[in-house]
Amino acid sequence: MKRRLAVAVVLALTSIAVADDDTIEPVHMQFVERGDDLVVSTKIQKLFDEAAYAALGTGFESTIVINTFVYPQDSSEPIAVNKAVRKVVYDIWDETYVVSLENSSKPVRVKFQSEVLKLLTTIDNMPVAQLRDLPLGEIFYLRVNVLLNPVDKKTLAEVQRWLSQGTGGGLDRGGVFFGSFVSVFVHPKIADADRVLQLQSQPFYRPKP
Amino acid sequence: MRGLVAVLCVQLVCMASAFADEPAGEPSPPLHEDDEFGPLIAIEAIEISGNTATQTEIIRRALPIAPGDILHASDRRLRDTRFKVLALGYFRDVTLAMRKGSSRGRVVIEIHVVERGTFVLNRLWFGTTNVSPYWLGADVGERNLLGLGISIGGGMVYAAPGDVEGSRSQWAGELRLADPSLYGSRWGAYGSLTLVHGSQPFRIAGTSSDDPGDFQAYPYRRFGGRAGMTYDATVLSRISAGLRLEEISAELPVAPTQTLPSGQIESIDLHLDPGSSRVVTADLSIDRDTRADPILPHSGNRIMAAAEIGSAAIGSDYDFATLFARFDQWWPLRNERSSISFHISGGVVVGDAPQFDRIYIADVDPLLTPRALGLVLSNASPLDILGTRADKPMYGDLGGTVTLEYSQQIFRGSGKNRVYGGDWFVGVGAWGLADADELKLRDASVWNSLPIDLYGDAGVRVDTDLGIFEFTISNALGRFR
Repeated sequence: MKRRLAVAVVLALTSIAVADDDTIEPVHMQFVERGDDLVVSTKIQKLFDEAAYAALGTGFESTIVINTFVYPQDSSEPIAVNKAVRKVVYDIWDETYVVSLENSSKPVRVKFQSEVLKLLTTIDNMPVAQLRDLPLGEIFYLRVNVLLNPVDKKTLAEVQRWLSQGTGGGLDRGGVFFGSFVSVFVHPKIADADRVLQLQSQPFYRPKP
Repeated sequence: MRGLVAVLCVQLVCMASAFADEPAGEPSPPLHEDDEFGPLIAIEAIEISGNTATQTEIIRRALPIAPGDILHASDRRLRDTRFKVLALGYFRDVTLAMRKGSSRGRVVIEIHVVERGTFVLNRLWFGTTNVSPYWLGADVGERNLLGLGISIGGGMVYAAPGDVEGSRSQWAGELRLADPSLYGSRWGAYGSLTLVHGSQPFRIAGTSSDDPGDFQAYPYRRFGGRAGMTYDATVLSRISAGLRLEEISAELPVAPTQTLPSGQIESIDLHLDPGSSRVVTADLSIDRDTRADPILPHSGNRIMAAAEIGSAAIGSDYDFATLFARFDQWWPLRNERSSISFHISGGVVVGDAPQFDRIYIADVDPLLTPRALGLVLSNASPLDILGTRADKPMYGDLGGTVTLEYSQQIFRGSGKNRVYGGDWFVGVGAWGLADADELKLRDASVWNSLPIDLYGDAGVRVDTDLGIFEFTISNALGRFR
């Protein structure tokens, strides 16, 4: 009876969390061979919800990091990895948005927030792999992992650090050097990023001439 | 010439740091997260709202920006502001906004915080063994006393007397107070008071049985405290130094002995002065923690080391020194969905240390019941897996563990359902505990004399808003054995 109860508790916790987990969304993407590169075009507008869209106008910077991974069809090891960073900040005195994109040398100024959203969420001919890494006839797929305002590991470690600080130690110190560090109960969690979007393309291949 | 060398060195350092930040095989992105752009702004004022319990000054001290600063709108300090406030640990959420100041280019920063409960349950003690038919206790804390940023905490545990001759009701209480950042500086202070009313079991017959008849207990009382200072050498490293003063009263049996299976009787050293004695020590420790997630870590490492010295020169009845160290490293696998971790910890006690400062067997063997606020709650012998020395000591002055663990993510959530994640893990390790004297003198083969053995552990760790739950073999055995 006790065993059944324990299993039920674990399953219940697991099922709650799985429903809350980040999911990978299949999306049809457009691939083109351009020069030595394979480039992709798609949209990532689902990254923004109402709050994230409103935050574009706060005057604080918003950052989007787009990570792309090209996988062979039957492998979990990517053969090509790329990263692009896009940023925007609202100039509250000029009342314009300053947008910095990965393929432009200088930031551009944009008047309307909707235009900013379009610039940030359109992936247009972004290189994802070199053609020499993609043998003809073999099947691949692309996974795109997009992070809004990602938090670097050092900052996360600093924020979470207070968790591992107790209220000082008692008389006995030796015990703390052995065993589990897990002794903290209630705590808030800082997410790795404000929002995460994971997309996966349809399978693709380079046709033999 | 020296100038050229200096320039070359600077170039090499720049190249090395750029290389370190760049994933192998990737083309250099034209834009980095740390690049600054956008308009230059001058901070005219910083307005803080939403804090009802926490004093505004506590928040203001944590900010990396101040009125009068001139910076780019994308400056890292502005981005870090939210996390610096969150790092205080007193808020569930922090939102930032900016509005126009009194003249062009000047801005007012608005920081709105949502406070959270800062009362925490650190530990629950309960279980049943031969030594105590039941024990019960809890350790709780408040991390933001009266909104001053001061942590206060403490615990109480009660253990009913068991069948061991001479045992009595045991109880212990502890009160702790700490300010991790005095006036917003890198310096902190801590202090604690502990009172223990216990009975300490020791073996009088046999070598490895758990039979209460093979044990006897003597009553003791400990009262004392620690106080010290901390210094944050970096954001992830802390150095601590402190003093400890403790009074021990023990009613020790006269000439305690242990009857061996062969019938031979040998005397036992209980490592305490009879009657009243005093322990005075000075300690120094360092702690560096780079784990992004201390609950379900898949990367980073943690190093801890501490030395403590007690001497007649500072008023102690015990001349001794202890040195403890611990190192943990997690290597991420499969994009941090799983990890291999290596854990090594050890300690050495030199000199005439009181019993309570020596290494207890459950400190090193996770499959035994750990002490609760110093109270010994079990007399169970460790599992004999290797067939090494049968009469492994309850206490030693040289001990340690080495563990290799594999953990894998079962799920990760965003916390919307109050569940952040879960991992399953499996680990194996070796532990050892010995008296240095016994290592030198032995009357059996090397293998049969080795005070080491193996242990294994497996289970599930679930990280939720309500707490971190461990469903593990060691956790279960540590409560009922």
